[in-house]
Amino acid sequence: MSPWVRSVRAALGRAYPRLVGSNRDRAWLFYDTVLPLLGSVALVYVYRSLGAPDHLVAYAIMGGAAMAFWMNVLWSMAAQFYWDKMAGNLELYMVVPCGLVPILLGMSLGGAVATLLRAGLIVAAGSLLFGVSLPVRDLGLFLAVFAVALVALYGLGVTFASAFLLWGREAWHTANLFMEPVFLLSGFYFPVRALGFWTAAAASLIPLTLALDALRQLMFGPLHPAFLPVHVELWLLVGLAAAFALAARASLRRMEHLARREGRLSLRF
Amino acid sequence: MRTAWRTLRTAFWLGWQVESNWTDPLLFALYQVVRPLGGLLILLFMVRAAAGPAAGPALGFLVVGTAFWPAVVAGMQGMAWAVVGDREHWRTLRYVYTAPVSFRAYLVGRALALVASASAAVAVTLLFGWAVLGVPLRLELGELPYFLCAWATGVTGVLALGLATAAGVLCVSGEAWRMPEAVGAALYLVSGALFPVTVLPEPLRQVASALPVSWWLEALRRVWLPENSPQSFPWASDLQVLATLAVLVAAFAACGLLAFGLSERRARQLGILDRETGF
Repeated sequence: MSPWVRSVRAALGRAYPRLVGSNRDRAWLFYDTVLPLLGSVALVYVYRSLGAPDHLVAYAIMGGAAMAFWMNVLWSMAAQFYWDKMAGNLELYMVVPCGLVPILLGMSLGGAVATLLRAGLIVAAGSLLFGVSLPVRDLGLFLAVFAVALVALYGLGVTFASAFLLWGREAWHTANLFMEPVFLLSGFYFPVRALGFWTAAAASLIPLTLALDALRQLMFGPLHPAFLPVHVELWLLVGLAAAFALAARASLRRMEHLARREGRLSLRF
Repeated sequence: MRTAWRTLRTAFWLGWQVESNWTDPLLFALYQVVRPLGGLLILLFMVRAAAGPAAGPALGFLVVGTAFWPAVVAGMQGMAWAVVGDREHWRTLRYVYTAPVSFRAYLVGRALALVASASAAVAVTLLFGWAVLGVPLRLELGELPYFLCAWATGVTGVLALGLATAAGVLCVSGEAWRMPEAVGAALYLVSGALFPVTVLPEPLRQVASALPVSWWLEALRRVWLPENSPQSFPWASDLQVLATLAVLVAAFAACGLLAFGLSERRARQLGILDRETGF
């Protein structure tokens, strides 16, 4: 079997439990959808209590969908090797002939598609509950931004995964640390331009920052205070996707080597 | 009683170690305050997006709610997490459970360790709100007894909620990790942590009125904020708020203990008390 075929099969094999297994257990679907939705609903009520216009309410709902993707990337990509270490799977991954990259690709593919379903449910439920419409002005560009953002986001997840490979108990806390600060810097619930140009520019290293800003421009037009023009943000996202792909590959090799040398691959606590 | 107190103290120490000794103290302190401050800043930018720079009294409401919320999460989720963590992660539940100590006291000690670690976040968030955001926070000497009484009663209420959640976790295996989070998220929505419960639709407002957390946050706001601030229960006097909180806490404590006892017995009957799911 050629290495390419083996890699593709390994990736599809790793994507399977994410695509099928995660939907087989209805409780997972419930928690993955309802938890971000509850947070968003709370923030919608904050906007409502302040008499905010409808497009800000839509921001909170979109923030819930973005949160589902970020949590998937953080807990099921970045920290996944930590879980695998705990369950004893990591040693198995290390000895399989395909290597770690196809396994991570499979995780990304399965995670992205499964989370897409959950994010769709969050947006649908949120907009139905609060009667908010989410118009899309340029569907082609909208889909392009969304697709490229997903590639960049999961590229970041793979890069993180290699860093988490070294960590034991601190992996859990580190993942926790990337929650609210990222929601803040990426402008999950408000226009990122409010942070100021340079802070927003630095926060653009997280693909969701540019993606949310571009998608909001395509949905709300002049109502949304844009950070950068949509086309610029799209090209920046393409750059981020490429950079994270390269960084992930290099970082994975380096961290795997370090983890083997320092004997941390099976270090659980 | 002495054994229970010793168990509680030891569990508190253990909980503190589990929470804090994964890194150096400075990084731990930073870790404790970064998330709540991040949450507060999100709300600040949301308020500015909706109401402009002059946010008014709404900001004070948010600051106090955000400041004290980590204590709610720590107390409620801490107890349930102690069960799940000991069972699934550390795999020590069977040894703790069979030791000649009070299991309830052990769980209370573990949860109180988290409440203590959340206190730094409470203090820093209040300080940030007052010094940086200019929220007119105050704690007058005359109101100190009210505050201490509300704080102690509220923490008891949060522990009672934690006991009820832990009761559920004892009989659930696969999704036990998510249950405390779900309860926390639901409370975040209905307890008036971020907005007055008067904003909620009527059925949710009724739920909020029956929760000790809503009254606890209301009592704390009455101490820390000026009188013209928004309130969740504007019709109630300060004493009524405290009395309602006490009654609800007593009811939740009784229900929590009952639920935990029933759940513990059922888990033992089914032999699932220490069942691991290979997370």
